[in-house]
Amino acid sequence: MKKIVDISIPLGPVHPCFREPVRIMCETKGEYVLSCETELGYMKRGIERIMRGKPWQEVMFIAERVCGVCSVIHNMVFIESIEKISGIEVSPRALYLRVIANEFDRIQSHLLANISYCNTIGHETLAMYLLNERESVMDELERLTGARVTCSYIIPGGVRFDISDEEMRSIPVRLKKLEVNVNQWMNMFSTGPLIALRSRGIGILTEESARLNHAVGPLARGSGITFDCRLEHPVYQKLDFVSIVSNGKDNYARVMLRFSEIIQSIDLIKTALATLPGGLVRFGGIPKAGEITHSGEAPRGQLTYFIKTDDAGRIIDIAIETPSIMNIEVCMQKMIPGLESIADVASVFVSIDPCIACTER
Amino acid sequence: MVSLYYYIQEVARLRWWKSFFFPRTQALVSPPYFRDFPESTGNPCSHTLLCMMVCPSPGAIEVLKTEKGWIPFIHKECCIRCGICVEACPHNVLQSGKVREWTQIQSSHLNCSFYIEIKDFKCTGCGNCSSACPVNIEIRDRDSNSNKLEISNNLVIRVGSKGKVKVQNSDKCTGCKICETVCPNNSIYIVKILEARQGVVN
Repeated sequence: MKKIVDISIPLGPVHPCFREPVRIMCETKGEYVLSCETELGYMKRGIERIMRGKPWQEVMFIAERVCGVCSVIHNMVFIESIEKISGIEVSPRALYLRVIANEFDRIQSHLLANISYCNTIGHETLAMYLLNERESVMDELERLTGARVTCSYIIPGGVRFDISDEEMRSIPVRLKKLEVNVNQWMNMFSTGPLIALRSRGIGILTEESARLNHAVGPLARGSGITFDCRLEHPVYQKLDFVSIVSNGKDNYARVMLRFSEIIQSIDLIKTALATLPGGLVRFGGIPKAGEITHSGEAPRGQLTYFIKTDDAGRIIDIAIETPSIMNIEVCMQKMIPGLESIADVASVFVSIDPCIACTER
Repeated sequence: MVSLYYYIQEVARLRWWKSFFFPRTQALVSPPYFRDFPESTGNPCSHTLLCMMVCPSPGAIEVLKTEKGWIPFIHKECCIRCGICVEACPHNVLQSGKVREWTQIQSSHLNCSFYIEIKDFKCTGCGNCSSACPVNIEIRDRDSNSNKLEISNNLVIRVGSKGKVKVQNSDKCTGCKICETVCPNNSIYIVKILEARQGVVN
């Protein structure tokens, strides 16, 4: 019988390029990758089980800890679904402040994704430059909310702290500096010949297979699909949000899409600060019984919460659907098989920005 | 020999010794707006226990009795630094980052009430919760001279006529959860209802 598979190569669970533990088994023929499958289960914490039976004010803090990188959106979607269940009115000023915090979170998450991609393809200089920029964004989050990662900023009916007048004046100045720097690194990435050699035409995901396999987030937008939950959000509609779509379909297109989304987020924050309505930031409100399915746009794609509460505001049932599970599956089914080199497996996998902590919860 | 000569020449400089003993790198200081572990402001604690009741992390804050009076004690291994206790404290005992300052600027506060839930199909009517409840004990001590029926009507929870525990005055509950711990059947639950408000206190 003819031998087809030469060798099966495992990547991970501990791999210098992956931020979180995941195992990829690749079957190769020479340098060609024939097929691959993923092995999850190294980060399982059972968060949904812990959440059941607890009152919302405890679950609010647990929901933030589902993901360390995109914690603000988890808080936001959870609180928004609680508000929709009980019909709590939200202060308009707080709605804008939520968007500002969320966009800062998106900037730092996209920067981290690009950092790991640059690190994976071996361009450590650019990775360090971007890491430096990310630190300034984390400082902005800390100034606004008091903490770098687990902000716990959003509560039913509003936000916890108002923004001070001094910050209102100083944030656009610092954002301008950030925009200049990000443009510089974006230019560095787009003109680098060796970066193009490792990124252009590698990890191609066609629009058809992205649609069939339900790819979400920058992965779908990099393949030409206009799909963004922010388009349905009332505040983003007021800020004239338009989703960025790229038709490149490869690693290079996805990384450049994230760079352009960072620039877009900076503009969104500037517009939100300029048109910030006045008034109180908290309207109060007590959660009631009910159930709902609510979605929001996380940095990695669509994030959905299914929540069922009782009279006292306790969570009876909860299910979280995170974007990374779809994206990892698309990557394993469509992007990695057929790669011309085993060396590209890690970079293709990192280019979809997988978040294993989100996926397994 | 030459390398040894250079080595001695290097070490003999005054600047080398200065940089060796007095490094110029400054110690890391967290910024004033960072929401760190709650600290005491020095105001006397009035033992309302609201900080303990609103804390989302189990066992992170305890109000202990010392020679100087009641003090809130933070268990740093459990505290998640959310700053909810700082917001809830009515007498400005705790502070953490900009939380204390902003609650005063915004005049924001947390309305805290408690909902007592009794599962009738599990309750055996033993009355442990009623006799252990500290508010009940206080009421009994205070009104020991008055009519017995009057006392039992004032209690938070008591064993009713049908042999089941019933809730009478849930607004008096302080949320200490002692009834939860003494219940042999896990049939009583205290749920805190928190409302974040801004403006004048009702």
